[in-house]
Parts: sequence; C-alpha cells; structure tokens
Amino acid sequence: MNGAAPTGFETWLAARADGEVGAGLDWLEVQRRNALQQVRDQGVPGTKQEAWRYTSVKRLLEQGFARVEDAVTALQIDDIEELLIPDLDSHRVVMVNGRYTPSLSLLGDLPKGVRVTGLRALLASDPDALRERLNGVAGESQPLFAALNTAGLDDGLVILMDRGAILERPIELIHLSVGMDEPRVAQPRHVVSLADGAQATLIERYVSLGESLYCTNSMLELSLGRDAVLKHDRIQVESPNAFHITGLYLSQDAGSRYVGVNIGLGAAWARTDLVTRFSGEHAECDLQGLYLAGDRQLMDYHIDVDHAVPACSSRETFKGILYGKGRAVFDGRVVVAKDAQKTDAAMSNKNLMLSENAEVDTKPQLEINADDVKCSHGTTVGQIEPEKLFYLRSRGISAPLARRMLCLGFAEEIIDALYSDALREAVSEEVGRRLETAPLT
Amino acid sequence: MLSVKGLRANVGENEILKGLDLEVGPGEIHAIMGPNGSGKSTFSHVLSGREGYEVTAGSVTFEGRNLLELEPEERAHLGVFLAFQYPVELPGVNNTYFLKAALNSIRKARGESELDAVSFLRLIKEKLKILHLDDSLLKRAVNAGFSGGEKKRNEIFQMALLEPKLAILDETDSGLDIDALRVVADGVNALRSPERSMIVVTHYQRLLDYIEPDRVHVLAKGRIIRSGGKELALELEEKGYGWVLEQGQAA
Ligand SMILES: Nc1ncnc2c1ncn2[C@@H]1O[C@H](COP(=O)(O)OP(=O)(O)OP(=O)(O)O)[C@@H](O)[C@H]1O
Ligand SMILES: [Mg+2]
Repeated sequence: MNGAAPTGFETWLAARADGEVGAGLDWLEVQRRNALQQVRDQGVPGTKQEAWRYTSVKRLLEQGFARVEDAVTALQIDDIEELLIPDLDSHRVVMVNGRYTPSLSLLGDLPKGVRVTGLRALLASDPDALRERLNGVAGESQPLFAALNTAGLDDGLVILMDRGAILERPIELIHLSVGMDEPRVAQPRHVVSLADGAQATLIERYVSLGESLYCTNSMLELSLGRDAVLKHDRIQVESPNAFHITGLYLSQDAGSRYVGVNIGLGAAWARTDLVTRFSGEHAECDLQGLYLAGDRQLMDYHIDVDHAVPACSSRETFKGILYGKGRAVFDGRVVVAKDAQKTDAAMSNKNLMLSENAEVDTKPQLEINADDVKCSHGTTVGQIEPEKLFYLRSRGISAPLARRMLCLGFAEEIIDALYSDALREAVSEEVGRRLETAPLT
Repeated sequence: MLSVKGLRANVGENEILKGLDLEVGPGEIHAIMGPNGSGKSTFSHVLSGREGYEVTAGSVTFEGRNLLELEPEERAHLGVFLAFQYPVELPGVNNTYFLKAALNSIRKARGESELDAVSFLRLIKEKLKILHLDDSLLKRAVNAGFSGGEKKRNEIFQMALLEPKLAILDETDSGLDIDALRVVADGVNALRSPERSMIVVTHYQRLLDYIEPDRVHVLAKGRIIRSGGKELALELEEKGYGWVLEQGQAA
C-alpha cells in the first residue's frame, strides 16, 4: 500500500510481501484508493462522534494489530474437529485468519445456479462477477472500519445465486482465528448475492483456538433480489482476548425476506454494525440478537434500518445478559422516509443485569417522516426477579442453577430463532457454560 | 415432625406473625383457615424460606433440624414443599426441563442417582395421569399462559413428582372448578401416607370434605387463635370468623 494511513491504523494496511489481491484490476485499484483516502480523512473515531459516543477505540488501538501475512497452512481437519457441530449438515467453508482454506472446507455438491467460492479465487478467475458487487451495497462512502476493510481487501466468502436457485442445505462459514506470534488483524470480506426468488441459509460462525489475542474486522455485503429469502445466523464465540468488528450491509428488493440472528458471546471488544436498506415494497427484515457481556467485555451494536420505500416491515429484537463488569451498547435507528407509508417497524432491546457493576447504554430511535405507519420501540433493563428465583429454589434447584435457567429462559426466544436444533443446542450449551463461571456481583 | 414455637416475623416495619404455635405430627393433615390478610401465606413463605421476611422470635424445627437457618433449596431437599397460592410464570423455561432439574437436584442432595431421560419420562407420564393433566403442558414453559386451574394442578403435579415429607398447600383450591377440585383432592389423597404430613391452607370447607384434616386451626392477626377437629371447619362455614375472633380476643 503506497502511503500509510496516518491514523494509528497504518499497521492494518501494511504492504503485503506477495502484493495485493486483484492487482492490475483498475476498478478495484480505484476502490481501494478511495477507501484509503476515507480512512485518512476520518482519522481515529472519538466519543464526540454519534456512532462512537459510548465506545472508545483506545483499547483496540493499543494492541498495535498488524496485518495478517501468510495463510495458515499447517492445520489439519483433526485440529478443528472440536469446533464442528456434529449434527449440522452443511456446505462447509472454513477460513483461517481471513483466508479461504479449501483443505478444511467441505463444499459438497451445489445445486445448479449456485456459486460458492473464495473472493481471492474469484478475483483471479472471474473478476467481472464482482465488479458491480464489491461496494455495491455498502456504497462508496463508508464508515471507518468498512473503509479499512475495503482498503485492505484480501479474501472472503462469495455466494452468488442465480434467479430462482434454491439451496436446501445451509452454507456454513467457519471463520477460525489462530493466534500468531504478534497480534494480527484479519479483514475478511464476504459478498452474498441472491437473484430474484433465490433462497438460502447462511450460518456464520466466528471461532478461535485458545485464548489468543487477535482482531477480526469482517464486512459483509448482502443483496436480496425480488422475493429472495435469506436465513442468516451469525454466531460469535471467540477468545476472551479477541477484538471483533462486523459491518453488515444489506439491501432488499421487493418482497424479499431476511431473517438474521446474531449471537455474540465471545471477544473482549466487539462492535457490530447492521445496516439495512429497502429498495422495493413488501420486503421484510427480521434482525434478532443475543449478547452476553461479562468482565472486561464490551458488546456494541449499531443498527440502521432505512425504510426508504413503502410497505416494508422490520423487526429488531435484541436481548442482552450482562454480568461482572460487562458493558453493552445498543444503538438502534429506524428511519422511515416521507413516502414510506404502511411501514411496519418494531424495535426492542431487553437487558438482564446479573451484577451491579455491569452497564448498558441503550438508545432505540425512530425517525418517522410518514404518517400512515405502525412503529414501536421499547427497552428494558432489569434484574432476575426474586419471585422466579424463589420458585425454582423452593423446588430444590440450587441458586446458581436457578439463575442460569432463568437467563436461558430469557434468551430462549432468540436462540429458538436459530436454524436448527443442533445449532440451538450448541448455542444454549455455550451460553450455559459462560454463565456457569459468571461472577454474580 | 414440624414444630413451630412462638414464631414472630416482620415484613419491613410490620409484624405479620405474632407468636404462632403449631405442631404437626407424621402423617397428619392440618388445615389452616383464617381471614384475608391474617398471615397464612406469610407463614407458608417463612416455612419454605422466601426472602423478605425477618423472623424476630420463635423457632421452626423440622425433623429435628432448625429450618430457619436453611436455604430454600436445602429445605426442599429435606422434603419441604410449598404449593404456591400464586404459582410463578417462567417464560422460556421448559416445564419438562424444570421438573427434571428439580427432581434430580433433590435426588442428588439425598445421595440418590439422577434419573435418566427414559425413567424420568415414564415417571412423569404416570403422575400426569393421576392429575388428569394433558402432556402438552410438558412442552410449554413453566406456568406461562397456563389457566388459573392449570397452574394449581401443575403445583400438585410437582408435589406428586417430588414426593415431599411436608407439603404446604396455600389455597390450592381457590380458582378450581368443581371437577378440578375433585381431581386435585384425589391427587392429594393419593399422596397421603403415614410419613407425609400436610398443611392445607383454605378458605372453604368444601376442600376439607375431600381431604379430611386431622386438625383445623384458625389463624387470625398472626396467631393461631383456635384449634379443633374437622367439625371446627363446619362451624366456621356456618358462623363466619366473627365469633372465634371475639373469643380469641376474650382469651
Ligand atoms: N411483602 C409485603 N409487603 C408488605 N406487606 C405485606 C407483604 N407480604 C405480606 N404483607 C402483609 O401481611 C399481611 C398478611 O398477608 P398474607 O399474604 O400472609 O395473608 P393471607 O392470610 O395469606 O391472606 P389471603 O387469605 O388473602 O391469601 C397482609 O396484611 C399483607 O398486606
Ligand atoms: Mg394467602
């Protein structure tokens, strides 16, 4: 990369020994340069910026993350066995430290009209397939971490589905982070494009081996054509020392349906931006989330839903369990344009605080510029109700188990929305495991 | 089996129980009646260890153990069971999972092996039949959206499953239709045994037609002001509480 980003993020974009992917593609060079300029222009986000009011990037910058270099090739399938969910029958894609790793992936047979490949590979073999799609949803002007991702573009998962194509089995992306000698940042970039009427399920799992320190700045661009359906589960269970950033950009055409469940359990510092824009009427977007924030953990969610056209519906349902000195932010914004009559939007954020030292900032906002709409929002911040706890204990159930049961009961609604029983069980178990060691003061 | 002596308890500044005495022997059924607000539920809660009550005097001994120093779950492990006047809804907590956790917690505390899924389900089905409960209730969340009667029957169902030594039924008959009352009473009677004692809190003589008590007590203003045989309940039904209260004051 010529000219460093003078912002503290320059190490994220350090030049690679083997050059940049897609070098020589003019359109890509332009996008990269443009993104780099935006990184420079934006500088380090401060708490004066609305999007960063509650969250400081200081801790992130202090780690001095350097860009991942070589692909990790030494891993065998046995090494990742414990990370697989046995009863989950999927087309499996494994990425390690941001790189597509075919030797660990198991794509199997894909139906006609479905392409699943690595971004790097596709830029080499058929770059035109990406030309309109890269930055096609996120747009040219991007917030800092998206711009960083674009400027440092390297690899990712690409799913392209033709008109009417239907995937029966889910595509499972396992993004594995492996600690290196020094703290590294990977910036996977995923592109999912469903043409009219296509239907798919995508399960993303961010996992790690051990308790290593690393950063993942992932970015997704999803576009749904008319009447397309995407079920999208994202499960983040990472090292307690990890830093995780997600920027998800979604565009929905008429009649399309998106159902996304975001489970955030891991990482020391996690920031998620979910940005949705409707471009056709009668589309539905259902965003659900469950987050756990314990000691020294930050879970920061920003949701932006743009009802630019009439008659679409959106649901944002997020629940959080906080314990120890955990911190969470829920900043949800739904904007209904002047012409977007018959919009139906409901946003809710509920938090269960297990300790007095935990803290949540929750700020749901509706900006309604149309008059014939149905919109609501609500938040709660509460504790475990003593009557419930007593009821369970009076039946012989120990206080810690009773608390765990009530927390899982609180989370159930979200876990229930996951793709399959196997996934639900895996997540419930992990939530239970984390709460078992949770300090309750 | 249960010995309560001079029990006084406060909620905040208010003294609710004001020197309550009660002796319940093994296998006995004691009915407690009394006006609204006299402290019947408070007494039930103090026995089962609910927080928010301050015991200022007296003692509660259960099979030689000082109940008051035990946690609610420890009391349950010893065999104390409270059927709640207002059963608590637990959205998101699956009923079967809850029942299994309760049963196995108690078994474990008693040094018994935990039941596996198959034996557990067999046991559950058996108990459901006794209470004429539909097994669809098992798949639902604990008490969530249950009708009033279903909640009460679910309490007795839990009692049947956990087989306590001392069951306290706090107005289990309130809100039950005539058939349900019968079913609940049958369920309770099926559990009657020489080792199992019960305290039945009720406002109505009708329940006591089905579940015959050994003793009937009148609790008023935080004290047992009168005790007698089952005929006392009939007398109360006829005359109301006025006359006992007057006598109580005179005494
Ligand atoms: N948490 C509390 N805070 C304040 N007062 C309370 C509390 N719990 C009980 N009390 C009071 O204690 C008294 C006894 O209440 P309790 O529920 O024990 O009555 P009860 O005999 O069960 O009545 P009922 O027949 O209506 O069920 C009442 O005056 C009630 O208002
Ligand atoms: Mg009562």
